Parts: sequence; structure tokens; C-alpha cells
Amino acid sequence: MKTALAYQQAGVNPYRPWPARITSILDLTEKEKLFELRIIDDEVRGAFSFDSGQFVELSIFGVGEAPISISSAPSKQGFIELCVREAGDVTSALHAKRCGDIVGIRGPFGRGFPMQEMKGHDVLLVAGGLGIAPLKSLINHIHDERHEFGKVTILYGARNPDEILFRYQFDMWKHRDDFELILTVDVPDDTWTDEVGRVTRLFEMIEIDPKKTYGAICGPPVMYRYVIDEMRRKEMDVDRIYVSFERRMKCGIGKCGHCGVGHQYTCIDGPVFNYWEAMNLQEAI
Amino acid sequence: MAPRVVVIGLASDFGCQVQMTNIEDHLLEVLGLIDLTYWQLASSGHMPDEYDVAIVEGAATTQEHLDLLRRVRETAGVVIAIGSCAVTGGISAIANAAGIEEGFALVYGERGRVALGRVAPASVVSVIDVDYIVPGCPIDTDEFLHVLSRALHGLRDKTPRQPMCFACKTRENVCFFEKGQLCLGVVTRSGCHARCVTLGRPCTGCRGIAPEANLPAARIVFEDHGFDAERALSYISLYNTNEEVVL
Amino acid sequence: MFFRIMDRSRMPDLVRGLAAEYEVIGPIAKDGKFVFGKVEDPSDLRLDYDTTLLPPKKLFFPPEEQMMRFRVADNEVVDDEVYAAPRVVFGLHSCDINGLLLMDNVFMRDYEDPYYRARRESTLLVGVSCTSSETCFCNAWGTDEVHWGFDIFLTDLGDRYFVSVQSVKGAELLDRHVESREITSEDTEEFQSVTAAFKDSFSETLDTSQLPLLLDAKFNSPMWDELGDRCLSCGACSMVCPTCYCFDVVDRLAPDQKSGARERRWDSCQFGEFAAVAHGQNFRESRASRVKYRYYHKQWGYLSKFERVLCVGCGRCQRACLAGISPREVVKALETGGVQ
Repeated sequence: MKTALAYQQAGVNPYRPWPARITSILDLTEKEKLFELRIIDDEVRGAFSFDSGQFVELSIFGVGEAPISISSAPSKQGFIELCVREAGDVTSALHAKRCGDIVGIRGPFGRGFPMQEMKGHDVLLVAGGLGIAPLKSLINHIHDERHEFGKVTILYGARNPDEILFRYQFDMWKHRDDFELILTVDVPDDTWTDEVGRVTRLFEMIEIDPKKTYGAICGPPVMYRYVIDEMRRKEMDVDRIYVSFERRMKCGIGKCGHCGVGHQYTCIDGPVFNYWEAMNLQEAI
Repeated sequence: MAPRVVVIGLASDFGCQVQMTNIEDHLLEVLGLIDLTYWQLASSGHMPDEYDVAIVEGAATTQEHLDLLRRVRETAGVVIAIGSCAVTGGISAIANAAGIEEGFALVYGERGRVALGRVAPASVVSVIDVDYIVPGCPIDTDEFLHVLSRALHGLRDKTPRQPMCFACKTRENVCFFEKGQLCLGVVTRSGCHARCVTLGRPCTGCRGIAPEANLPAARIVFEDHGFDAERALSYISLYNTNEEVVL
Repeated sequence: MFFRIMDRSRMPDLVRGLAAEYEVIGPIAKDGKFVFGKVEDPSDLRLDYDTTLLPPKKLFFPPEEQMMRFRVADNEVVDDEVYAAPRVVFGLHSCDINGLLLMDNVFMRDYEDPYYRARRESTLLVGVSCTSSETCFCNAWGTDEVHWGFDIFLTDLGDRYFVSVQSVKGAELLDRHVESREITSEDTEEFQSVTAAFKDSFSETLDTSQLPLLLDAKFNSPMWDELGDRCLSCGACSMVCPTCYCFDVVDRLAPDQKSGARERRWDSCQFGEFAAVAHGQNFRESRASRVKYRYYHKQWGYLSKFERVLCVGCGRCQRACLAGISPREVVKALETGGVQ
């Protein structure tokens, strides 16, 4: 588990956010924007390292905090990208911010994807809707260190073409031969030339070697069971399938109790669990 | 531009508007943030045709009130209902308890003159959609300021939804049921820091039934402590006749 | 640890001595019950108390507390200092000391909580032996004894106290403020018999065998629906619990809206929105699932991390619950099936 160096120093208040400047804002869809942040303090920024799948607490004083998974790759130094849907007070307040504004960041928190373990293996990533946000970090990481991974398959589904995030990038990737990328929507429009239907339908289009493939899933809660069923049908091992959960959080550091899932806390034990662990967490899937 | 705010009083004793004047310490700071274009209690001017935020006290008891509320909803971007009368019907709505006609005859006699356009008292919340509520009789000034602040910043209504026993516990009050007295805190919306109970008086339910109250379970609690459902409901009806409460 | 004997009549000397150096907090009477409050005079101290309305957690983790003050314009923290005055909490029962030790695991391990730590470190703990009451079941978890975490512990031997001294500060205070003598073998024997009598005084012994496993095996038992139907969702149980540590965080702006404070408040997993996320999904929507989670976390979730159940058997939640839900009843239902 990676934690910013400062938290390991005695006397540092883990609830105190570090000021970070918004360096870029990209409109992705009607409800989602991609924010690029830069921690202002040089020392803290220098010590900030994370694994894909970890999250930060985004802090806007006067409004509150919200846990947001990091979308950029760990290899991108000095900046953190957050893909944020306007859903509650904090995310709405963030959406109202402009480039140059200052917000607060605490983190990184939680357990991310087992990046070291995954190296040298094939990877199958399945995202639904906003679930692409944490997986985007993993995808970018694999992209940056492409030679470290075997075959990479990405299945990504959304309700309609307007809700496909990072489409500008994925549209280019579709033509690459080092990624197999399949997009699908429930409700297509006139311009849509990719697949139609649930993301689970895409499994019949792909071939994977279950002995050397790691799976990573993130999406709306209802999606997990069906995608895992498909992965199990492909005979993937339960402990090589990784899922990322979203739960209510306040502190992000295992104190406030809100993110309990079964006998674990999503914030410190997750948000990434392997399916074997998740199977043994009550009410998780 | 500062948001234009109007403060409107319907049928009530204007106690909540008086509470607003009691913000004294901070009133000027708050007034610095808003353009208070009309305040029924404190100004003699006319209500403007355009405004952004409407703060409404009191219950609707005439057709004119109902028309005004609908107009307010169309005009204001944000409507804040303050006080029991506006939120749950409060004292004004007790008139409905015995039936509005019967009640009127009982109070004013057979020959009582009927006010023009009189309607059965109704809370603001039951007539129009409101964006924020500040329940209580009267409102708590801190809570009012907090809600106004949230409204000005466009944050969602966060009025507590659970009953208030938890707050009473944090004040280390001894439970009234242990003393053989009926207390409505067990079903009443929290947010008041259990003020009355802390001052030695059982909760009378002025903040309305908590959306998360478990009424059938509360009925058992009432009965176990020697208060049948009818008695409990008569207590509850002091502030809550506007909605049907089934224990 | 070393032991001393202090004459019962010396108690006021000890309290006065402590009060000269520290703020002394202990069980005092309130409205026919007891609370931990400031002891102005040794006669205020009611060491004969059964239990207090709120546990001592309020002294380390207050119901509402300011975490930091902030400035809105540049999203900057203005002040997050914690000021904790030196004090002594006098007269803690073993269940409550154990409760603090369980809280320590959460607040003083990974990502230390500076607010809790500051208060904890500025406070000396003086324990005192107790007698069991109808709602006590500390014997179920072994929390009827406490072996560490206090500075001094006083076991009542009638005319004298058997004093266990654990910390340097405790030893110094005892030495400075009160006359005491060395223990004899008779004292130790009496200490043993008093302890044995205490253990025998409990009305029942709770069967807790395989409890974590049963929570999983009976996860879908109808007993949870029955309890859910009864639960008032009032959160009283969480507030009075010496080991419930959940909190909510809220920002409050000053009237000028330019600055404000980030505050935390005790929260309860029994509240409807405790597990609801921003875009509407609620992971524990039913009362039954919330009642179940309270026990699931206490007897299994916490245990999976710290090898102890998150309950000390103080019985406060049972006393506070108007619906009469008690952990003893829940444990029995899990062991035998069916709610009474």
C-alpha cells in the first residue's frame, strides 16, 4: 500500500488536506469532467506516489470531502487526474471550479490493483459507465509500460454513446494492434458503429488464456455479478479477478466507519479486492 | 450580484421571523451576503415581482395564501419553508384535527363570520415543492443560518432524517420514559440538539415526524410504557395534524 | 506492575492531591444517574456508581469536535492544533478502560488521529473495581478484568484498597499524595477472593462460541428482520457505546461565509443514510440490514483486524434502547436461533 511520505512522519494530521491547484479541466460528457491537479507543496508533491486503483479525498472547504479514484497513471509525475461525475455537493462544487482554483487533496488511500503481480501477464479490463475512472489509471499505466504486459483486452460499456468517457482516446486506440478494445452501448445513436448491448455480451467476441490472465472490473454495483460469471465461464481463477468498490466514505483512513463492506473497510482494505476476498465479504456483490 | 431574498409570513405568530431578528450578532454579516428586498415583519414595503430566494413562514389558511405560494414557487429559484406551521402545519393545522368546519363552529359559534376565502390550514410543504426546510417551533437561529448558507451555495438540503434520541443521549439526559412520562423524541426529527429535553421538558414533536422513524415500533414503546396509541397520537397531533400519522 | 495498600479513609487525600495538579473527572450524580463530570470536591465522587449515561469515550472523542478551521478563498487550513489540558479520569470500571483500549486500536495505530491522541496522552486513568449489575455482561468477553492501559487501579477490599500501579506517573502520584503501605500475603488473598466473588456475581454466562462464524452462517436468518422491525433507528445504542467510534464530518461556514470549521460528530450505522453514496445507491437501506451490521462489525469485522470483539459488555446500549434490543439477546439468538 502506497501512502504519501508525509503521513508517515510523526505529527502530521491525516485529516488535513494539502492545497492543490487545478491545472486543467476537460469536459468529457454532460456530467463528467476530467480534472488535472498539482499539489502546491514541492515536498509533498515529490513524495506523492500511488498504485492504480487507489483514491484521494478531494476537499473543498465549506462543502466537504469526497473520495475520488485516481485516473492518471502512477508514472505521470507531479500531476493527478480525477474523472469526476457531478453527483453530490462536493463533486458539484468541483465542477463549478475553474482552472487555477485551489482545492484540497488527502491521500493516496486504500489498496490498489496488484501492479507487480500483474506484470508479465495478460490483462482483461471490464468497465461499466463511470467505472472506467479507476481502470483508466491501470490502462494508462499498462500503456506506459506496454512491454511489461502480455495481451491486453478492454471491454467498456455505457448507456449511450454520449456517456462513453475518454472517447477521444479510445477511438484512436481501436486501431492499435497492441490493445484489443471493444466499446458497447445499451442505446446507440446514428453515429454509433461499435457494439450494442450489455458489456457481458462482449465476452463471446474475445479469447483469453485463463491460466495467464488477470481480470479487473469496475462499474455499477449490479454489473459485477454478471461480469464475474462470464470470467468464471472463461475459467479464470477467482483470485486473479479484481474488483473495485465504491462505498460512502468520510475519513478515507479506517476510522469513520461509513465504508464497511462485510467485515472489511473499503477505504483501507479495498477499494480493490480480488474476487475470492469479495466472495467472502457479505453484501459486497 | 447578491441573491434577492423575500421573507413572507402566512398564518402564524411570526415567531420564526422574530427568531430571525434574534440573529443580532450575525444579522449584519448575513445581510451583507443577500439583497433583502422584502421582509414582511420588518419592512413596510411591497413584495417585489422578482426575487431569487423566498423564505416562507406560516401555514396557508386562505385561497390568497395558496395563490401566493404558487406564484412564489414560479418566481423564486429557491424556496425555504421555516417553522412548524410551514413545514408540518404546526399549531395552525390543529384546526384540522376535529374537522375544519366543526372546529370553526366550536370556537366561533354557529354565527361566526367566515373569513373570505378560508381554506383548511395547510403547511407550505404540502402545497408547493420546497427546496429547504427549517423545522421547529420556533426555528433555531443556528440551523436557519446553516440552511441559508447551504441555499446560497447551492448545496442540498441536509435536514436530519432520523429521530432525536441519539442527540438526547449525547446530552446525557435521563430518558423521560424511565420517569414514566411520554416523550415524542423517539419519532421526532432531530436537529434541535434535544434542547427541550435538556431543559427538562419532554419532546412535543415540533420538528415533525422523522422520515426514518419506525412508527409501528414506536407504538410498541408507547404501549409498553403505559401510553396507548390514541394518547400518543393526541400528543403527536399538536404539531402534526397536516399529515396522517399511523402508529 | 507493583501493588500497594491504601486505607479507605485516605481516598479524599488522593483526590485532593490529584486535583492540585490536574483537572479531575469522575463519576458524579446527575438526575438519579451518573455521568463522568468534573469533580469539584472529593465528596462529589461517587465510586459506588453502577454505570454512567455516556461512557468515558466522550472525554477523548467528544460528541462534536472541531477538527480544523479553514479559509474558503484559498482552501487553506488556518488552525488544526489540538489543545488538551492535563487531567485525571478517576473511577473507571474495567469495562470502560477496555473500551478505551479498543478505541486506541482504531485511533492510535495506522493514520494516527491527532485529536484523540492528544487527549489520550494528556489524561491519566485511575480504575476502580465494581459490582455486577443486571445489564452487565463483561464476563462474556473477559473485559471484567483489565491488565493494562491504566495508571492506577483500585480494588475495593472494604476498609482498604488494593492498589495496582502500572505507570511511573501513577507511582509518583500515589507516593506524593497519599499514605500507602506494602501488600501482605493476606491482602493478596483477599484481593483474590474479592475478584472471585465478583466473577461469581454475574447472573449468567453468555455462550459466545463460534460467534463470528455464526454471524456469517446466519446472515440471512429471519431473526434480523424481527430485530429490524423493532429497531427505532434512533442511534441511541451507538451514542452510549464505549466502543462505537463512527463519525460524520461536516463543514460549517461562519456567517460571513469566508471562513469556517470542519467538525466531526458521532454517527450511527443505524441511520438510514449511513451507507448511501452520492448518486443514490444505499448499501444498507433496510433497518434489518443496519441492525445486523452493528453486530456483524462488532463481533466479526473489528475482530478480524484486532482479534477482539468490539464490545465490553457494559450494558449501556441495552439500557438506552427503548425497543429493548440487547446484545445479550442477539448473541443468544445467534447461538440458539430465534429472538426472544
